[in-house]
Amino acid sequence: MADSRLALPLMDSIRRWQGIAAPNAAARHGLKDFEGLIAALEKLRGELVFEDEPASFEAALAACKEPEA
Amino acid sequence: MSPDALAELSMTEAADAFARGDVTAASLLDATLHRLERHGGKVNAVVRLDRDEARVAAAAADQARKAGARPGKLAGVPMMHKDMYYRAGKVSTCGSRIRRDFVPAVTATVLQRLDAAGAIDCGTLNMAEFAQNPTGHNAHFGDAMNPWNAAHCTGGSSSGSGAIVGARIVTAALGSDTGGSIRLPAAMCGVTGLKPTQTRVPRTGVMPLSFSADNVGPLCRTARDAARFLDVTAGACPGDPTSSKEPVAASEAGLDGDIRGLRVAVCQSWFFDDIDASVLKGFEAAMAVLKGLGAAVEVVKPGSLFAVATYTGIVSRVEGATIHQQWMRERAGDYAAHLSARIYGGNAIPATAYLEALSRRGPLLRRFCDEALGRFDIVATPTLRDRVPTRAETDIDADPDNWDRFMDLSRNTRPFNYLGLPTVSIPAGFDDGGLPLGLQLAARPFAEARLLKVADAFQRETDWHRRTPF
Repeated sequence: MADSRLALPLMDSIRRWQGIAAPNAAARHGLKDFEGLIAALEKLRGELVFEDEPASFEAALAACKEPEA
Repeated sequence: MSPDALAELSMTEAADAFARGDVTAASLLDATLHRLERHGGKVNAVVRLDRDEARVAAAAADQARKAGARPGKLAGVPMMHKDMYYRAGKVSTCGSRIRRDFVPAVTATVLQRLDAAGAIDCGTLNMAEFAQNPTGHNAHFGDAMNPWNAAHCTGGSSSGSGAIVGARIVTAALGSDTGGSIRLPAAMCGVTGLKPTQTRVPRTGVMPLSFSADNVGPLCRTARDAARFLDVTAGACPGDPTSSKEPVAASEAGLDGDIRGLRVAVCQSWFFDDIDASVLKGFEAAMAVLKGLGAAVEVVKPGSLFAVATYTGIVSRVEGATIHQQWMRERAGDYAAHLSARIYGGNAIPATAYLEALSRRGPLLRRFCDEALGRFDIVATPTLRDRVPTRAETDIDADPDNWDRFMDLSRNTRPFNYLGLPTVSIPAGFDDGGLPLGLQLAARPFAEARLLKVADAFQRETDWHRRTPF
């Protein structure tokens, strides 16, 4: 079980920002997911537009209802 | 009726039998306690049994009915709930060592509503620690065990709720669903599980995990049970400003079995990647049932799912990591290894990525509804792409290399938490190893009545939900 190349910088970032140390080997191992997550976010760059905001979700829930629901 | 015969009743059948005077609340409770004594050890579902309080409540229900009081919609029905629904003065462990002695000062709105409807609360149920795994592993209370095969996962995080309803000990139990935690144990234990629309059922007095994606809902025997449970528990609550003010439709009243003309979208991207052959066979058989009932089934390939799947994990991981920060600093060793490992990584996601995920949620919901529900009434997928795994092959505490199998379990359920759509999992057969298969159905926001009408129609034509493990 090898560490991701991202493991050390991510662990350092978590320690600096939150004061939390990696609790176990599984935690280090789990950081390998970040390579895939960052790659996925790269593919989505450009989709966020200037007016997007979190409150748009509640508005969309109401807008997407069935007419009779 | 014998205890085993009473145990065959669904939640609504038991409530209706009580209302007619065919059974007493005391006899329903006796049946539950008898089944618990006989089969409880096979599933390890119970954290706390409130036998004496339940007997007092059942006697009061019987006395009230004799006196001519009109019974509530759930009167006389024994239930137990995931141990994260707070009841003032009672310990709520949240499946953890950290909260082993936590006594809340408030009672959850949803428990108050169930009490008002006459349900008999018999105690609390095992769950994944802090509701954070899809398998049902619990290092502190022992794993809940699948009633169909104890070596296999119950699903999580509402593991005890799935196991105890599957074992026919109670007819209904509260679960919670942030990434599949109602639907996964429902599918793996062969019961019906409803995740309502985001904001539909208030979360006051409920342990938080991810405030943007947490949902309250039932695991029960049938779609009719889920409809009545929702009718009792849904609706705005002043204590939860995020709860929706949308009027609550009477879901149960619309269950007539008629789905002629229904348009079903099978989302073939994402949900079917690398699917197990026996899972696919069961899904195709379920679609044939819907077609036989007069539904039209077509394949769609929503392009929005890649973004939905990417963002959904970000939201729940960041929010979960944030609320656990102080315990992770001070008491990391009190979490199971797999849980502290999951929480830990959420701290590394930048705030901009988190806000991007939240900001894209509304536009992606609109896009998914256009792509998958524009010409269709219902989306159908398998609840899991894989067979029900064993507890050993998904145990990260024993072997971190099980991480991928563990994380992949909720692949088909997580997107609907991000989208906020109402979603139900219903029993849809068994794999060739004898473990249950789940059919997942989703509808537009607040269309639980339509969703449950389809699930009910399916259950009128099949008997998978009537099969019992012992």
